[in-house]
Amino acid sequence: MEIKTTGVAGTLESSDIQIMVSKGNNGIEIDLDSEVKKAYGDEIEKVITDTLTKYGLTDCKVKATDKGALDCVIKARTLAAAQRATETSEKPDLEVL
Amino acid sequence: MDKLVDLYLNNAATRQKWEAFLASLDIHNFSDRELDQINHTFGLVDEEGKLVGTGSVAGNVLKYVGVCNKGVTSGARFNKIVTALQQYIFNEKIFHSFVFTKAKYSESFQHLNFRELAKTDQAAFLESGTPDVDNYLADLPKVNDQKDLKIGAIVMNANPFTLGHRHLVELASEENDLVYVFVVKEDASLFTTDERMELVRAGLADLANVKVVSGGDYMVSKATFPAYFLKSPEDLIDVQTAIDARVFKNVIAPSLNITRRYLGKEPLSMTTHYYNVSLAHELSPDIEVITIPRKEVNGDVITATEIRQKIKAGDLAGMKELVPATTLEFIEKNLASLQARIEKGMNINGN
Amino acid sequence: MTYVKNRLRRTMMFVPGNNPAMIKDCGIYGADSIMLDLEDSVSLTEKDAARMLVYEAIKTVDFGGSEIVVRVNGQDTPFYDEDVKAMVKAGVDVIRLPKTESAAMIQKLVKDIEHWEDEFGIEKGTIGVMAAIESAKGVLHAPEIAESTPLMMGLAVSGEDYTADMHTHRYPDGRELEFARNMVLQAARSADVYAFDTVFSNMKDTEGFYRETNYIHELGYDGKSLVNPRQIAMVNKVFNPTKEEIENAQNVENAIREAKAKGSGVISMNGKMVDKPVVEKATRVLQTAKASNLIDEEGNYIGE
Repeated sequence: MEIKTTGVAGTLESSDIQIMVSKGNNGIEIDLDSEVKKAYGDEIEKVITDTLTKYGLTDCKVKATDKGALDCVIKARTLAAAQRATETSEKPDLEVL
Repeated sequence: MDKLVDLYLNNAATRQKWEAFLASLDIHNFSDRELDQINHTFGLVDEEGKLVGTGSVAGNVLKYVGVCNKGVTSGARFNKIVTALQQYIFNEKIFHSFVFTKAKYSESFQHLNFRELAKTDQAAFLESGTPDVDNYLADLPKVNDQKDLKIGAIVMNANPFTLGHRHLVELASEENDLVYVFVVKEDASLFTTDERMELVRAGLADLANVKVVSGGDYMVSKATFPAYFLKSPEDLIDVQTAIDARVFKNVIAPSLNITRRYLGKEPLSMTTHYYNVSLAHELSPDIEVITIPRKEVNGDVITATEIRQKIKAGDLAGMKELVPATTLEFIEKNLASLQARIEKGMNINGN
Repeated sequence: MTYVKNRLRRTMMFVPGNNPAMIKDCGIYGADSIMLDLEDSVSLTEKDAARMLVYEAIKTVDFGGSEIVVRVNGQDTPFYDEDVKAMVKAGVDVIRLPKTESAAMIQKLVKDIEHWEDEFGIEKGTIGVMAAIESAKGVLHAPEIAESTPLMMGLAVSGEDYTADMHTHRYPDGRELEFARNMVLQAARSADVYAFDTVFSNMKDTEGFYRETNYIHELGYDGKSLVNPRQIAMVNKVFNPTKEEIENAQNVENAIREAKAKGSGVISMNGKMVDKPVVEKATRVLQTAKASNLIDEEGNYIGE
């Protein structure tokens, strides 16, 4: 999968997470901002990484602003952002979820 | 539940409601200078149709963000408005945004993962998204063992690049191991950003220890600095200068190991002179500020304003001694189109 | 989750499909049905993201036993196909089609659902459909729409768009909706499907809300669409059967039991035959009474 542009999905509202995926060349680099980073940071980053990997992205930068999102929200937002970044939103890849 | 709506400020009734709401949040400056740049405005209305939040987008800058938190979870409306503004600019393929705001709102923005680049008692300047200042700094050219070198910096508009600019850089080049020349990005006058960049590069090509780079979004210019949130419009220059200096001092300089900044002495414009003094005040002692007397030809200092006036007059011969060959060549080649720009009403006065 | 044709559907709560906070919490309020919305409440630029969020939510979030309905985008939009595909794959209970104006539109939806059921190896008939009637044309075609498929769960009047189509708007007395409400209800009853009334969005006007809910209950509606969880208890209160209705329904149940014990095919009570509508009404009353905790396990009345 090739990243063509920066893709963002999700909001800054409670229980959501905003995910911004852009070009990178050093694996999946995640910059996470979350109030629960200490306790759940690794877990959140793992859900993001797993979703991106499953979708077929190996190198990208991710900025994530978490507002207390459940795993299902993190997955959905990550995939939406990734598909926007690869300009493939028209064909949602639900198998990734 | 609150409803997000588009606000069209050219509608008098909407505009009135919007201004009244912001006035209740102690924002009173609705001058054309501020409003003309706005691309879009959102409102948040409660179940009774009352305006309880708003925010605007001007290019990549968020402006006039304000919410009423009475009777609701603190932050909810703010997050909703900022999300709406971001989704709007993302849709325009703008993924990097800024906000200039009252200092007391800095934290609210930081809570939404904005990064504070500079702050004064009155104002804060923050950015969000990508590419950010770290990316900007990482992409700038660097040399080996930079941390052990003596490094100077010059920020210029170069509209266009003159021998006066060159004189300043030459001096800095002699006194330092490495010199960064930051060309201010804003397209505010006769020469476009790309043209100015190119002429600076060409005019300094022979100086091996000089790196000409774009100031990116981090040389905060007077032209783009919003004043709507300031206590008084007269504070604009002070606040803008302080913010500009602090971004340079706290974010740009440390990362490049810049310890000196060169300024051209200003004998003509009081504003620029005042700017230089405040800049020096803000930057020192962390950054040594060196003010160089301006280069004179036949007893007059060289100014870019003068060059632009000569372009208007078509006086190529008169600028031969004032600009490097590279700039002259460009002006010769593009005289007609430059004059056409002036004809169209491009302001050539000012710095 | 599987579509159940007959169940209690007094309240259908609208939840914006791109709002994780509301999606996460909507199961705790005890709505009979939850309608996750991909249409009007989601801005054009967020359709893809909302679809994924709703898809993931249906698969993972506990909605506390509420029926899950998803309002997809209309058949005239570029989002419809992917919406239907995703909701079939997610295993939604019911798909609601907005702006329904003909039986053919519902038949297309059913065909599309079947296509994706085939594709994903999902058993046919596990997803119901419902039609939102939002235009003059839709109202006039309500009978054919109601009868268009055996998978039809019900019809819902959507007052906002309908009144605009009729060159009017919502009024507190609801006279502008009179014909539509009656037509849709008539069509639903005749086809033996459910009928849902439109939303009432002024949360401050409690009295108006009760007035409207009482009115549609009186007409014979099965339930009401809601935008705020606070309205759930209010609707339930209106739809609660009286003590007398409950006792009567219990008597009908007893009559059925006795007839069965006797091996008799004819059910009689108070010297009269108990026919199908009466039996069905009794079932509905007792179902509602149980859901609202008006009777205990043994059937004793415990309401106020």
